[in-house]
Amino acid sequence: MLLIECPWCGPRAETEFSYGGEAGIFRPADPHALSDAEWADYLFYRSNPRGTHRELWNHAQGCRRWFGVERDTVSYRIKRTYCLSGASGGQPDGSAGGLEAGSGKRR
Amino acid sequence: MSESAPPAGIAIRVRSARGFINLRLNPRNRQALEAAERVLGQQAPLSANTFTGGEHNLYWLGPDEWLIATGAQRASELARELAEALKDFHAAVNDVSGGNVELLVSGANASMVLAKGCPLDLHPRAFAPGQCAQTGLGRAAVLLAAVDPSTYAIVVRRSFARYLRRWLENADSAGVPFRAAGKRQQAGYRSSP
Repeated sequence: MLLIECPWCGPRAETEFSYGGEAGIFRPADPHALSDAEWADYLFYRSNPRGTHRELWNHAQGCRRWFGVERDTVSYRIKRTYCLSGASGGQPDGSAGGLEAGSGKRR
Repeated sequence: MSESAPPAGIAIRVRSARGFINLRLNPRNRQALEAAERVLGQQAPLSANTFTGGEHNLYWLGPDEWLIATGAQRASELARELAEALKDFHAAVNDVSGGNVELLVSGANASMVLAKGCPLDLHPRAFAPGQCAQTGLGRAAVLLAAVDPSTYAIVVRRSFARYLRRWLENADSAGVPFRAAGKRQQAGYRSSP
């Protein structure tokens, strides 16, 4: 079982999470402007790298927040986990606006 | 607590007449946070996975989400007051009393019984009174809170409550051994002291 470090809740068992696929895939602003091949590429094709893979996870049984994970697809080692930009409540380290989850400071 | 300790048994009790309110607002919006806290009469926990007691219990559910547990009579009135106080802010107040049940599990072996179906490290060193966590217990998703070293509060979906009670009774019964401590890597727990 993987031990995944939720940016908010800390290390938790893999069973608490659900996998959200490769990170950094954005829906095209105007799908009608795309060719079938481009649309298929957006819809179905993923990079599937050997090595570092950036992916999305949701802490489904915990705080229910989405976050990013950098995982090695060979060793399964998780290199880091991070909040997504614009995630609700800002960054756990308080860098994006002073919410101090886990830091114990209040104001 | 050693494994050879005689099974003391746990007490499972449904905490009756409880009401629950789900509160969502961005705590970076201090005005909104303070407006809510004025109505509640107590501070909302901003540290992840902690709860505060007082007139109500306020559980941290997420960086912009809390569960308020209070008396059933008080809940709907409190939800109205909160909604009124927060009407000018980007916030959500939902009375979720109907969907949740609070169980109290107590006994010297309570943490070991819970550990049979919970991936968290429930040792008081890692999960001390005042901490809470949303996690899995058996096959149910629960909010687990350490009230004192031998008492846990569990908030669970009403439709899972009967199952969870049976699961707890089964886990507490003889012939279902405790897992040997230290043999598996347990998920840790993060909260500020």
